Amino acid sequence: MNYKRKLLFSGLWLLVGLSAHAQADSTQAPKKLKEVIIKQHMNTTKVSLMKPMKVEEIGKGELLKAACCNLSESFETTPSVDVAFTDAVSGYKQVQMLGLAGPYTLITRENIPDVRGLAAITGLTYTPGTWIDGMQLSKGTGSVLNGYESVAGQINIELRKPFEEDKLVLNVYQNSQGRTEGNFYARKELSKRLSTGFFAHARSQWLKTDQNKDGFLDQPLGNQYILLNRWFYHAPKGFEAQAGIKGVYSTNTGGQWNYIKGDEQQAGKPWGYELNTKRLEGWAKIGKVFPHKPATSMGLQLSGVYHDQDALFGNRVYDARQKSLYANLIFQSIIDNTNHVIKGGLSTVLDDYDELFGAKVYKRTEIVPGAFAEYSYSYLDKFNLIAGLRGDYDNLYGGFLTPRLHLRYAPFKKTAIRASIGRAQRTANILAENMGYMASSRVFVIPSTANSFNLDPEVAWNMGVNLTQKFMLDYRDGSFGVDYYYTHFQNQVIADVENPGQVSFYNLSGPSFAHSLQAQFDYELIHHLSMRLAYRWYNVMSTFSGVLKEKPLIAANRAFANFGYETNNSWKFDYTFHWTGTKRVPATHMMLGFRSPSFVQMNAQVSKMFKNNIEIYLGGENLTNYMQHDPIIGADAPFAHGFDASMIWGPVMGRNIYAGVRYNLK
Amino acid sequence: MKRLIVFLSIIFFSSAVFAQQNKDIVTEHYKVSGNCEQCKKRIENAAYIKGVKRAEWNKETGDLTLIYRPSQTSADAVLQHIAKAGHESGQVKADDAAYKKLPHCCAYKETGKH
Repeated sequence: MNYKRKLLFSGLWLLVGLSAHAQADSTQAPKKLKEVIIKQHMNTTKVSLMKPMKVEEIGKGELLKAACCNLSESFETTPSVDVAFTDAVSGYKQVQMLGLAGPYTLITRENIPDVRGLAAITGLTYTPGTWIDGMQLSKGTGSVLNGYESVAGQINIELRKPFEEDKLVLNVYQNSQGRTEGNFYARKELSKRLSTGFFAHARSQWLKTDQNKDGFLDQPLGNQYILLNRWFYHAPKGFEAQAGIKGVYSTNTGGQWNYIKGDEQQAGKPWGYELNTKRLEGWAKIGKVFPHKPATSMGLQLSGVYHDQDALFGNRVYDARQKSLYANLIFQSIIDNTNHVIKGGLSTVLDDYDELFGAKVYKRTEIVPGAFAEYSYSYLDKFNLIAGLRGDYDNLYGGFLTPRLHLRYAPFKKTAIRASIGRAQRTANILAENMGYMASSRVFVIPSTANSFNLDPEVAWNMGVNLTQKFMLDYRDGSFGVDYYYTHFQNQVIADVENPGQVSFYNLSGPSFAHSLQAQFDYELIHHLSMRLAYRWYNVMSTFSGVLKEKPLIAANRAFANFGYETNNSWKFDYTFHWTGTKRVPATHMMLGFRSPSFVQMNAQVSKMFKNNIEIYLGGENLTNYMQHDPIIGADAPFAHGFDASMIWGPVMGRNIYAGVRYNLK
Repeated sequence: MKRLIVFLSIIFFSSAVFAQQNKDIVTEHYKVSGNCEQCKKRIENAAYIKGVKRAEWNKETGDLTLIYRPSQTSADAVLQHIAKAGHESGQVKADDAAYKKLPHCCAYKETGKH
């Protein structure tokens, strides 16, 4: 009986999660199962030895290490992800994995593609850290169940579930750079079956700051409001449904100190930056477990996005609209026993883009129906294989196949060796993904026919191997991991900034690849004092106008250390150290090309949880106050041809001290 | 890569040496009452007194694996400390006041588990 129940419940999970990490022990379980499956608290980042794919489980505890604020900032303590400013004007940061820019990573909300399209860069700020239950980060092409897009990896975000854990969460945050933020979460179980969660976020950057004294605001003034409401319904007979809706409203006004919204954009007047975004998302998941057929289930995922943004970079106008629909139907069953699991299904992605850039309109309607199948085999706890294949037909670029293979072998109990290889394809949204370059006088050279980009889809093969070794040393646990990934581009849309005053887009002609090697060591030095050391090395090269060169603005070397200490009376201390190596900075009108200096950044945080569930935190980012000098080239003449705020290799903002309060009602 | 292998083998080797050489270390098992993940944290935290090298409580079986230095502490001292936190063992009863303060999910006497 117990076995059957467990089987049924794991089936249910798969349905709810419908996940690429399907083999993973998901963090969610219907409420009625609480007595059977007790959730593991993941206080920090963990890598399981059992999953066929190497997945870094980033728990709430890890997210709290950097109190601030949204997704792009929550990776500060994760060595696998690099976070860097896109330019010196917008204040946006973008993530990087395996040496590849953020858009090459598939970012999903509960396994539905989320941060993509026009929101490829800005979308990371639409999920506040306090809303998140946990994240799963995996490198390499993931499962075919989640589509064909992920080149570098997948980051899946699980939001808080309305049927478990904290009933109410409040968070108020203030920093020394004039940013105030409030987050709210509450859940309600309306009945045994029906539950709802309500999420709210408000953020205001109300203080003008110019720490580098270049006359430009370090980050724009503006407000951001996000609301989210989700519902869960656990029906009898293995039927389950959930739905959610999310709205984002965000304003940004920045640029030169004296710029006032609406000022005319011409030489002699203050240079202005604006980005105003309205975004609405809705999604639903419906799942059914067949109680009489073991481990057999079906699930449907639906989502829709409307995204509207108006941007201004000096006299450059960029207004864009995206409408997207996504549907994914997955069927899962077993052959004979749970050692042989098959999954299959159908999916459709519809993207409709309407972009106005300068005086030109670009339109694209892309519809990609597809079918997929995946077979998983496991032999005891020793060996796993996941082989997936999908076929998709793109109305603009034709049909293509996406094969993917994952292997895991555990020679010893505490050792796992994994390997993966797969193909990925995506259509670049060159404007949205390269908005940082708009903060310059660079001319955008875009090949186009009529109202569309004349560019091919990006096609890449990614392969990787990794080793995870856990150990116990002097009765305390530790782990060691090393991974190596190689991404080879068959085609890539190159954003070439090698020529001063230009950014030109074209299809790759010649080699383009990324090698990534990372080693990480985790150990509990003394009881309650954890240490994480990591080093990673990239070799990312592309062919720019016939010449193979190191990709600009990417650090080949990076070292990382994190120490966390927790006392029995709920004091927490956290300290992070980053060393970022040199980067190649291409030549501009005003300067020859050069290598940026390496630099060190430190973050630290102290927090204290009181008996009444109130937690107070105080922290600092970039404690050494290291800043890139003159991040804006030609800042004194922003309408002249030498102006460039996009050659960013270091921190644009100086030391930041913050404090806040969290309240959790269990 | 070579360095890596050396580094790794040092870790394994040294952990094996640590485990074998230290005579002033005992590993014992005790049944301790509790139900949930929260209890696990409570029990393990209470068990870490001076002289305790490792304390791991299994919430499925209620089994506490205790590794400590007999020269510095005793199993009884550890179990006393756990009982003070409200979790009783076969050897030491929890005091009522502490039991009443337990979080809801840890109220093992009510649910009859373990």
